[in-house]
Amino acid sequence: MRTINRVRAGAVIAAGVFALSACAGSSTKSGGGSSSSSTGSGSSTSAANNGKPTLEIGVQGPLSGANQALGLNIDWGVKLAVQQENAKGDLPFNLAVKEADDQGLQNNGADEANLLIQDPKVMGVVGPAFSGPTAAAGALYSTANLVAISPSATAPKLTASGFKTFYRVVANDNIQGKAAADYMAKSLKAGNVFVVDDKSQYGQGLSTAIIAQLKVDGVTVETDSAQAGTQDYSQLASKVASSGAKAMYYAGYYADGGVFAKALKSAGYTGTMMSGDGSKDPNFITTAGKDAAEGWQFTCACLDAGTNPKYAAFVSAYKQLANAEPGTYSIEGYDAANTIISVLKGLNTASPTRAAVAGAVGTVDYQGLSKEVKFTSTGDISTTAVYVYQIKSGVITLLGDVNTLVGGS
Amino acid sequence: MYFTQHFWELLFQGIRLGSLYALIAIGYTMVYGVLQLINFAHSEVFMSGALGGVFMLTALAGTNGNIPSGFSAFEYTALALIAGAVVSAAVAFSLERVAYRPLRKRHAPKLVYLITAIGASIFLYNLAGKLFGRNNLQVPESFHSGPVFVLPGTGPSGPRTVKTLDVLIIVTAFVMMVVLDLVINRTKLGSGIRAVAQDAETAQLMGVDVGKVISRTFIIGGLLAGVGGVLYAMFHAVSYTMGFIPGIKAFTAAVLGGIGNVRGAMLGGLLLGIVESFSQGIIPNGLEWVDVVSFVVLVVVLLIRPTGILGERTGRAA
Amino acid sequence: MSTTSISELSAQVRRLRKQDAWWKNPMLGRLAIIEALVLVLSILTNQVQGSSSDYTLLFKSSWFSSRGAEYVIGGVLIWIIAEAWRIQGLRRLAGQTVDVAGRRIAIILPRSFTRQYARLTAFIRWLIPNRWFRRVLLLAVVAVAIFLPYLGLFTLPYFQSVLAGQVGVYVLAALGLNVVVGWAGLLDLGYIAFFAIGAYTTAILSGKLPVGADGNPEAHPPIHLNLFFAFPIAVVLTMTAGLILGAPTLRLRGDYLAIVTLGFHEIVLQLAKNNPHNLTNGPLGATGISTFRFNLFDVHYDWNPTDSKPYWFLAIGLILIVVFAFRRLEHSKVGRTWTAIREDEVAAAASGVPTVKYKLMAFMIGASTSGFAGVLATAKITAITPDNFPLQLSIFVLAYVIFGGMGSLIGVIVGASLMTFLPFFLQGPPSWFNSGKPVVDPKDIPMWVGAVLLTMMIFRPQGLIPSKRRAQELAQAEHGVGDADAMTEPAEGVAP
Repeated sequence: MRTINRVRAGAVIAAGVFALSACAGSSTKSGGGSSSSSTGSGSSTSAANNGKPTLEIGVQGPLSGANQALGLNIDWGVKLAVQQENAKGDLPFNLAVKEADDQGLQNNGADEANLLIQDPKVMGVVGPAFSGPTAAAGALYSTANLVAISPSATAPKLTASGFKTFYRVVANDNIQGKAAADYMAKSLKAGNVFVVDDKSQYGQGLSTAIIAQLKVDGVTVETDSAQAGTQDYSQLASKVASSGAKAMYYAGYYADGGVFAKALKSAGYTGTMMSGDGSKDPNFITTAGKDAAEGWQFTCACLDAGTNPKYAAFVSAYKQLANAEPGTYSIEGYDAANTIISVLKGLNTASPTRAAVAGAVGTVDYQGLSKEVKFTSTGDISTTAVYVYQIKSGVITLLGDVNTLVGGS
Repeated sequence: MYFTQHFWELLFQGIRLGSLYALIAIGYTMVYGVLQLINFAHSEVFMSGALGGVFMLTALAGTNGNIPSGFSAFEYTALALIAGAVVSAAVAFSLERVAYRPLRKRHAPKLVYLITAIGASIFLYNLAGKLFGRNNLQVPESFHSGPVFVLPGTGPSGPRTVKTLDVLIIVTAFVMMVVLDLVINRTKLGSGIRAVAQDAETAQLMGVDVGKVISRTFIIGGLLAGVGGVLYAMFHAVSYTMGFIPGIKAFTAAVLGGIGNVRGAMLGGLLLGIVESFSQGIIPNGLEWVDVVSFVVLVVVLLIRPTGILGERTGRAA
Repeated sequence: MSTTSISELSAQVRRLRKQDAWWKNPMLGRLAIIEALVLVLSILTNQVQGSSSDYTLLFKSSWFSSRGAEYVIGGVLIWIIAEAWRIQGLRRLAGQTVDVAGRRIAIILPRSFTRQYARLTAFIRWLIPNRWFRRVLLLAVVAVAIFLPYLGLFTLPYFQSVLAGQVGVYVLAALGLNVVVGWAGLLDLGYIAFFAIGAYTTAILSGKLPVGADGNPEAHPPIHLNLFFAFPIAVVLTMTAGLILGAPTLRLRGDYLAIVTLGFHEIVLQLAKNNPHNLTNGPLGATGISTFRFNLFDVHYDWNPTDSKPYWFLAIGLILIVVFAFRRLEHSKVGRTWTAIREDEVAAAASGVPTVKYKLMAFMIGASTSGFAGVLATAKITAITPDNFPLQLSIFVLAYVIFGGMGSLIGVIVGASLMTFLPFFLQGPPSWFNSGKPVVDPKDIPMWVGAVLLTMMIFRPQGLIPSKRRAQELAQAEHGVGDADAMTEPAEGVAP
């Protein structure tokens, strides 16, 4: 009896798997439902069969795990760039996206870099998203001559590590930190600043740079840190409130920054609350609530003026593709991908080599959505302008360039 | 000195956080009582409660966050709490049915239960991320303002006030805990739970339907975690990964009070909340050391009382 | 009752069913279960990702669409096939024509074939316990393992990198945890803390930590050792850490020990992040850690992170040493004592076994193996931050051990290899598999890993390849005799 049961169960399972795989197969063919809004692993971002060969742009970042949201922002930005390029169809090949998920962990950085390197169709990589995996993967990309443009790895020493093919479209911590500190000291005229970081690589790097510059500017600095995932910010918030600091800077990402904003609001802090590019995200407002997010200011080495019609077009196209608002580093991802695409366009061949792409990226001058993409010899972005934004009635709006704000005051 | 100046405030914040921990810890401890299982997936039960509450709030209010007309603030909140509790209870119930019952039938060793729970936890939170996006969800704003009473001591911008939300969290948590204590000690279901916790086999011989008692235990734990989840959602943030850290903390609280012991979990939760709050007041840059302090306290307590403050066993200490 | 034939019984059942409400019909119940499963599968396999701004998106796209309809119809088809099969089976039951698999084979296949088959099974039955055969097999497996980077898909750099950086490292770690969990029966949820200690030891010995004042890289202390020296030093340090953690806490029973070890992991992590005395450089960590060099008598060899193969050879060497040592340990007095403690700690203590001493020993051996793995991993990554050692990793390594079959060395090796390899394989399979495309969306891989773990534990709780002794204990536990681990003793038994 037992045997019969097992045989029967096995057969039923086999039949089930068979039937389901038939279902799955037919559903991909029919493409029913909302598959127009879906983008599975680069399959639908590749254009129709038009006889052209396919080349790929890699994305390395945290697509799963604790920092997934940031990686996905970049991923969708790249996919959007590729989709738009394929729709134009003025390249001698089709483009597709190849995803490599390093979960933001250093342990996986090298593995995922290898995944992209071993695929000869990958001509350039947007990533690695985080500084940790970049440190582990940079040498591999250099050896393989594969260009890697990071939209978000901001640790200053990465570009000083001798990674030949590593570039980034985002200002490093030192540039943003210095600008933020100058803004608080000179424009806000804060004699007393409270700096909080989130104990992440990004947060700590940024806060270190800010504190150093604030001290140069002769500002009294108080510091504390609350690592990502802190359960109760109210104590820290009342500490900030009772410190009497005229400005407060939170160096960290929006997921926790929003919660901190809630706590600051309820502690009744009245100074200027600031944060960096990691928090300049619509989701900051979602998390904190409109009430608590109101008045927060952000420094960011990016320019995405809402008045620019190109930007509005980007937002609506992104929403359609990703079912979400563009978030932190979405635009940077989009720009990095477009930089690679523009280089490929410049080479104008159906079979470019990686070395040619890497060489051309070094000298590229591309007007991206957020900034002019042009690199220094070490791979840093050459435009160092930092802008200040503020949340006004629930919308992140541009206040201006830090240099003019500081100079004008 | 900072600590003495802010004593009442620290105590209050500790109780607020601690009562949330206690609500979650009860679920851990009750399941441990009847199954001797560390239910790692309980943090996902908690998370699903928060999601349920947020969906209810969103459905009622839309995303602008105003309390819809025709509802009082009280009804509005109560509906969200109920929705969270129901969703959590449903998740906890199906978890028991799908994952733990087959193991119980085979008398699987405890480690297998543990890994099953871990697997379920990984599966569930990633599924939630797939279903509802990986960003923080929007919690309609309803209870952010409105001081209720004033705490002794003053802050920089006037006296410290206690907000509606804070009172709501503490009052709800305490009401839930009192009701649960009555259920455990005064009802037939409660004595069934205690009997199974003490000795499942004997209980079965005495006519207790062990399977039913276990699944009801899961439901009760789920209800409390769901309420905790909704309260936490209003006070913190909602995302698919929100369960992990509170889960670990609540588990710590359950062990601190004596795992398996419901009153112990309540006490442990409050104590852990207060320890976390006070350590921030006493140690400079205390927020960095909160976890270290609370685990050191745990180890010290366990060295003095190896089965937690109130000892083990639902049956014995209740 | 005993004289009722099966046909009569089933007739009774049918009569009873007719009297019951129609919705209690088990046939419909099975349909409901199948449909529920199919609907869940429809969501899980959907490429669409949900959205925080529209909660119903994924439900709409996987249920209320042509996709949903296809899945529901597929579910009904499966149900019909299953029910038909079931009815046929019942009919055969009623007609008493139950036959065993062997007889059915005999009907289908010619007689000569079954005779051959019987001979073959007899040969296999003779072969498997044969000592020489086992030795040859073992040698062959080891040889294949060593030359793996030259075989099949492992010639691809991605898989080489995964092999050296993930599989090798976590197999080593899981082997150590197996001593603690599988043999001594202690639940350790903070095992990666020792891994982190080993890793930080490596970083410090390589001269990259502590970073000098104000981040000046020139100001660090003049320690700059060949990383091979990191192994013994890491072993000493992790053993000390194990002693510090274990000595006061090993008196605690299973679950209490679990939370204390979890706390230990958290404390180590916090120390690394908070950076007292500027030892760890906080969250920023260190980069450019030098890696292994071999420099003995005129033979020079430098490991280079761009080539993963040499790291694999090193890893497999370490694994072989550890496996050899652990095999000796398993069958020694120490191993038998662990078994005694695991099966009944009270009885072991009553027979004069110093249980705390032996538990401490298991703990320290496990810790030092973890430290070993930490050194290996850091030398491969050549960089370090506290984020490399998340709390979840400790839980994962425990899952590898149980998944493979705790207590069994082969099981643990296979389990850890499969579980570490699977997500990477799903993400970037070689070109011959699924034409090189990811099998599932990378975003969903953790979900599938969870699902695999869950299903595996429900349907095969003993793990992939359980040890003989463990399987026996489990079978006994299933019949209510004895215990399968050291976690179920009542508190009154051990605690004072």
